[in-house]
Amino acid sequence: MADLLTVDGLSAGYGRAVVLSDIALRLGEGEALAVLGRNGVGKTTLIDSIVGVTRRFAGSLTLGGREITTLAPEARAMLGIGWVPQERNIFRSLTVEENITAVARPGPWTTDRVFALFPRLKERRRQAGSSLSGGEQQMLAIGRALATNPRLLLLDEPTEGLAPIIVEELLAALSKLFRSEGLSGIIVEQHAQKILPITDRALILERGRVVHQSASAELLADATPLERFLGVTGR
Amino acid sequence: MVEQVGAWRRRHVLAGMAGMAGGAAALAAPAILRAAPSGAPVKVGGTLSLTGFLAQTAVIHKIAAEMMVEEINSRNGFLGRPVEFVLLDDQSKPEVARSLYEKLITVDKVDLIQGPYATAPILAAMGVAQRYSKVMVQSSMGIPKLQTYDMAFPATPFGSEPDKTYPNVILDAMASFPTPPKTIVVLTSKFPSAKFMAEGMRDQAEKRGVKVLLYLEYESGNRDFGAIAARVKEANPDLLWVGSLGLESNQLLESLRKLDYSPKNHFHLYPAPGPLALSPDGNNALCSTFLEPAEPFMSRPGMKRLAELYKERATKANLPYTTIDAQACGMISEWQVLEAGVNGAKSLDDKAIAAWLKKNGATTIYGKMRFDGPFNHGDAAQLIKQVQDKEWKVVWPKEFAAPGVKLIAS
Amino acid sequence: MPSATLLGQALISGVLAGGMYGLLAMGLSLSWGLLRLVNLSHFALAFLSAYIVYELGTNYHVEPWWSAAMVVPAMFCIGALQHWLFDRFKVNELASLLITFSFAVIVEAGIQLYWTADYRRYETEYSTLSFKTGPFYIPVLELTLCMVAGVLAWGTWLWLRKTYVGKALRAAAEDPEIAAAYGVDHKKLAYLLSGIGAAYAGVAGTFIALIATLAPAQIWAWLGVVFAVVIIGRLGNPLGALFAGMLIGASESIAMAVLSPAWAPVVSFSMLIAILLWDPDWI
Repeated sequence: MADLLTVDGLSAGYGRAVVLSDIALRLGEGEALAVLGRNGVGKTTLIDSIVGVTRRFAGSLTLGGREITTLAPEARAMLGIGWVPQERNIFRSLTVEENITAVARPGPWTTDRVFALFPRLKERRRQAGSSLSGGEQQMLAIGRALATNPRLLLLDEPTEGLAPIIVEELLAALSKLFRSEGLSGIIVEQHAQKILPITDRALILERGRVVHQSASAELLADATPLERFLGVTGR
Repeated sequence: MVEQVGAWRRRHVLAGMAGMAGGAAALAAPAILRAAPSGAPVKVGGTLSLTGFLAQTAVIHKIAAEMMVEEINSRNGFLGRPVEFVLLDDQSKPEVARSLYEKLITVDKVDLIQGPYATAPILAAMGVAQRYSKVMVQSSMGIPKLQTYDMAFPATPFGSEPDKTYPNVILDAMASFPTPPKTIVVLTSKFPSAKFMAEGMRDQAEKRGVKVLLYLEYESGNRDFGAIAARVKEANPDLLWVGSLGLESNQLLESLRKLDYSPKNHFHLYPAPGPLALSPDGNNALCSTFLEPAEPFMSRPGMKRLAELYKERATKANLPYTTIDAQACGMISEWQVLEAGVNGAKSLDDKAIAAWLKKNGATTIYGKMRFDGPFNHGDAAQLIKQVQDKEWKVVWPKEFAAPGVKLIAS
Repeated sequence: MPSATLLGQALISGVLAGGMYGLLAMGLSLSWGLLRLVNLSHFALAFLSAYIVYELGTNYHVEPWWSAAMVVPAMFCIGALQHWLFDRFKVNELASLLITFSFAVIVEAGIQLYWTADYRRYETEYSTLSFKTGPFYIPVLELTLCMVAGVLAWGTWLWLRKTYVGKALRAAAEDPEIAAAYGVDHKKLAYLLSGIGAAYAGVAGTFIALIATLAPAQIWAWLGVVFAVVIIGRLGNPLGALFAGMLIGASESIAMAVLSPAWAPVVSFSMLIAILLWDPDWI
């Protein structure tokens, strides 16, 4: 399988602080990767580094075989990186539909398909972004990223702070994206159990370094690394 | 920043003055067989509002002042010494004027000072003049009672109570009509000197039985005259008296025209004279003046030459209206008063000059002036001019009208 | 009590005069609302345009509409150029206020140097043209201005609402970093918007030349009221700016007709303060 994303020797952070050290990872076309780890180990920094909003100290990145190490975020976005930030950051002054169409680019993911994936958004299409609930905002953030027709979808703690029923709805949608649609993606999560079933591979970060990599199914079968690095039991 | 601009302007102005004085001397020397002034120059300091909202008139004053410095230097200077005008820019701000006069007197150590333009800067400068006991001549303080300093002298014959005397000049003129106006609308800018006259006009009209239909004040810098015009049209007075400054009169008349209304008789206090005369709505407009470049004024000594020189300089400075007017003459008169004072007192001492002026008065482009009345004012000499065939003609009092010119009733 | 005719006439001339407030406010509102730059030089550009239209009309007998066809694109370029400077020196909201103020002062000085501080009036056959409907007179120039302002405001509003570029601009205005991460090239769009704002100053300038009196210091005469209009009309909202302009124009005019003309400025600023205190949703 051709590598969609490669990260080599990446050290990155914010300002003078180095958060990630010497990260290497490969993501195949159509692969979904779970990034696990405790709070503050650099999960978000990894996502942000791929998006291009951190400070890079060393290392390189490629996307679809193309060097993106020095590209600005907007250029990376044009090459196919779709980002669902942790804070969701939807455009509050734009309507739901405008949030999607403002950044939409041609491709299989049309506004209608986004609405089909998240029917709640269709109901609220004319409402201002600021009027949405947390779960709806998360759906919109995902829908907005999809509308850019990304080759790689980056999701930063998509279930955080949401009601269990909404979490189920979201996970179902994500499962559909990765399993049925074959979209490539990286999901950052604290709760491994939620996303291991819908991802192919998993990676655990500890103090800015990759400490474990394996197939998601392996971790589901044997939770020892989870217990060791995340301090959680299998269930 | 302020200082730099001031310094730049000053250098600029001084360089200009130096060049001009040199040129004038070269021209004057062969013609006039009088000893050119020599020795250390007599420095006369003053400010004008070369920038800011008063700047449009300051250009006129600057030209007039430069002409006069040249004139005086082509004669005898001040007591045989050449005159140097140290001109600074007060930016139309009284507080800047105040500190610049302070600087002129204490730092630049000028021998004499000249007043700035417009009431607010004049008042500011007058305070400084009083503190240092300097004679100050000014030409444009429309409210004489504010001139409380006994060594300040008016170069313009407003008289001591123009708010009482001048409305009566207007009403006298109106009374000469076959059907004198019975109603009046007084409309004025809130600008102090305009409002001062407007209140006088209202009171004098009431006193003489002319019904005041409306008395309206508008903010200076008023942008839209539509609603005001609608009120004037509805009142439809026999006389519309406008305490206007600059182009406000044109704006008002245009707004009236848009309502398909032409005022009957209309008087304008301090309009921009050129544009009003040329305006399609300006016909028969009345206005205050002290003198116009026509007979009998042209026969006054020096007037013809000054009018020609002014035209030349104003053309060169790219001014749209190059005919000498009361504005320019105010500054000319200012220098004539100062020259008369210095020559009369044979001294540069401020107290001596002031005493001499008070006792003897001065003859200027405005005629013989006295300074022995209240607030150092003498006789009032405000006249009325009227737009006739796109030109201003003095029409009242009759003795100042050019031969064949008459006041036209609407 | 004033007559109905007087009130109606005052209302008409107020609304039409308010069109000018709205037109001037539109460009300012766009750059403030969508670029976070308070562009005081907007007024200077409007007056520079007005002077150019005056000059071309008076000395070269160019019809004002042709002058506008030259001035408006020129202003667009100046606006874009201005943005290059803002971008180059990473100017923030407060700094933009100071820098554009300085720019305006420089333009004012330039105008004064070339055209002198003297009042200028561009006399055209349009300046006093009006027609009568019922008891009311409608001035043609002001009506034209309002129609042009209406078309521009409506068009800009649609552009911002309906086009990709417009929505991207609004997204970038709210959160430039996130918008960039979604591929919105807000820098390029900012040039476009800055140019459009300045082009509106060119349009406003053309009408200022035709309607108002020109003097360099007049640049500052509109500042207060237009700022009030921008805020009441909501930042970044061209239709709001136009409506707010007309609202303020109408209330000033009614105040002039019913109370005293000197009350007009008090009315507009009291309205601003009242609305800011009331703080309705649409602010």
